[in-house]
Amino acid sequence: MIESVLWDDWHVVAELAELQRRGVWHTRLLGVALIVQWDPESGLIRARRAAEDPRSGSARAVEALEVRYGFVWVSLGRPTRPIVEFAECHEPDRLLATAGSVGVAVSGLRAVENFLDLSHLAFVHEGYLGEQPHTEIAPYAVETLADGTLRATGCRVYQPKPSPVESAGFDVDYIYAVLRPYIVVLFKANPVEQSRKDMIALFVQPVTEESCVAHILTCYLPHEIHPPTVRRFQQFIFGQDRPILENQTPKRLPLGARAEASVRADLSSASYRRWLDAAGVRFGAIAASA
Amino acid sequence: MIKLHDYELSADCYKVRLLLGILQLPYERLELDVYPEREHRLAAFRAVDPLGRVPVLDDDGVILRDWAAILVYLAQRYDGAQRWFPRVDRPDAAQAASLGRLVEWLSFAQRLAGSAGAARLHDTIFEPADIERCRASAHELFRMLDEHLWFAEQQDCPWLCGRDPTIADLACFPDVVLSEEGGVSRLPYPAIRRWTDRIKRLPNFTTMAGVFPA
Amino acid sequence: MKRWFPVARREELSPRHVVHTQLLSQELAVWRDDAGGINAWENRCPHRGVRLSIGTNTGSELQCRYHGWRFASGSGRCSFIPAHPTQKPASTLRPQVYPVLEHGGHVWVALQPVGADAAEPPPPPPQPADGLSLRSLYVRAPAARIAAALLRGYRLVADQVAPVEQIDEFSLRATLTAGTRGPALQFWLQPMSASATTIHGCLDGTIGPAERLAVLRHHNTQFTLLREESERFG
Repeated sequence: MIESVLWDDWHVVAELAELQRRGVWHTRLLGVALIVQWDPESGLIRARRAAEDPRSGSARAVEALEVRYGFVWVSLGRPTRPIVEFAECHEPDRLLATAGSVGVAVSGLRAVENFLDLSHLAFVHEGYLGEQPHTEIAPYAVETLADGTLRATGCRVYQPKPSPVESAGFDVDYIYAVLRPYIVVLFKANPVEQSRKDMIALFVQPVTEESCVAHILTCYLPHEIHPPTVRRFQQFIFGQDRPILENQTPKRLPLGARAEASVRADLSSASYRRWLDAAGVRFGAIAASA
Repeated sequence: MIKLHDYELSADCYKVRLLLGILQLPYERLELDVYPEREHRLAAFRAVDPLGRVPVLDDDGVILRDWAAILVYLAQRYDGAQRWFPRVDRPDAAQAASLGRLVEWLSFAQRLAGSAGAARLHDTIFEPADIERCRASAHELFRMLDEHLWFAEQQDCPWLCGRDPTIADLACFPDVVLSEEGGVSRLPYPAIRRWTDRIKRLPNFTTMAGVFPA
Repeated sequence: MKRWFPVARREELSPRHVVHTQLLSQELAVWRDDAGGINAWENRCPHRGVRLSIGTNTGSELQCRYHGWRFASGSGRCSFIPAHPTQKPASTLRPQVYPVLEHGGHVWVALQPVGADAAEPPPPPPQPADGLSLRSLYVRAPAARIAAALLRGYRLVADQVAPVEQIDEFSLRATLTAGTRGPALQFWLQPMSASATTIHGCLDGTIGPAERLAVLRHHNTQFTLLREESERFG
């Protein structure tokens, strides 16, 4: 039995535009094979569990299905919370861009943790999101908010090219929010309107315990940036992370404090593992007591 | 100024970018929204290539639409030392055979694209493929490649076509070095692993997202 | 298992290269530093579990590809954490280090932890002083199946199949004339996992430079036939 914190929650299973291009999208969520279909005439989207054994009879419809932010979301159980909300996405002068769904052969929890990680920016994304010798990570703060989500604030990194249109490097402040076990968001000041934040959300679809699909959403102020440029940059950055993720062992995320070594710069990841353990997340994880 | 219609994550485009970098040729990247937008399939790009493929090279009006054609053109036109696509006027039998063997490796690179490359596209962006067959074919090709490279090393010729690297090495490199993204591990192929290291150490080698530097 | 296994030919530990191999399902990163010292470590950074075989051999350290942590040749101790550049890393931060040595034409590893309390590794197996190391071959079959196939005879020279005797579970010997010193071929089976093995071989006797390549090709062909036979019944 998969824990309710995952089973009864909403998960992205497809990018809307990709589903419309293909008509049918075969995928898997929490181990369950799904078929998502789009009817071009009515515009209706339906999802059903793929019959694993064709002789076993009718496949069951997935009732809980919504389209939000350019993605198709489903729940296999009974959701008690709505799909995550972003006030930024409702601001009229913002653009939303999805960056294409990418399969990764590792637990989705490792993908979330990688998104939170600061000390890899100067190595894996050298010349873009970080640069040697600016590798030192100053202390930052992590707390659990009243709504149960995790926040990392005061994260500061020197970035030579923090976004597609910036040509000079400077220190960038990041805020991370882990909103669900498999959903993490990054906020950073827009370079032109510094009081407002651009947002990059990673919606990770847990396919099996050791594989996932990464769906990326950016919600930003489009000062001279167009969706293709944003998309290309996100794909480039994620393309650099992917072979790192796929070379991690074990593939599932160990939640025990002693399983993997942490230093002070790993405060986000250590907090995230404790937070997952406390929430009872087991799918894609190796329990602390294991 | 050379223009390249290009996509960062395309292994075929990377073959061309590798040679452009090695020959230190400045060029403008015209990046298309290949995934998920399929911009290369849209009517506007079909005017550039009716088959809707990348890479496409535009060198001051000279347009070439196939990675192998582009590699040969760039090597012929810009490689003064004639190392990357060695060719002689009036070749003797041995020289003609050498050139033939280089082209054999360009065909081999195409097979790599259809096996290891296809497996990578299946696992990353969900391109339909017979994944088990792609991986099995990739392993068959890798076995051949590992054996060839091992014996080449034994004869002090650590490249596909002899003592020096050629476009054959650059053509085969991307789908090999990215193979693990399609579930094809290189653990069984130590000679291939040494060869990928050597390529990464070439002067003016450039990476792409998914390829680590030396 | 308290014994030595070959994991690579010596020349494969080329400068600034990291060999990726596996022994009894334990992945290993094997590498040589610029002074010639060799290392065999578990293929896993203790930080976030990334394979060290995709990292950088700097000549004196192995640098992990993820966060740039560096581990010193010999001890395996973490020598530098870029996120905290002025701090000395804890001495416990290291991948598992295994005993490793060069013997004959190969690099050998024993899968027992190195440490103050660890038992002495066993003495390496005997090996003829002069030998031609053959091309090693990765086979998707368990060691026992390959041994069984070898025991049916091995074509030591073009026109002669030699009897093969089993020395122990992972080593065998083919000799044309029983009881004499040669020509003979020593086989070592490196069990990568329950389902995959690398065959290493060393040929006794002096092979002149003129015939060296032909001899290497002959045995590579024989190993390849052995692989086909062993994989067919998988």
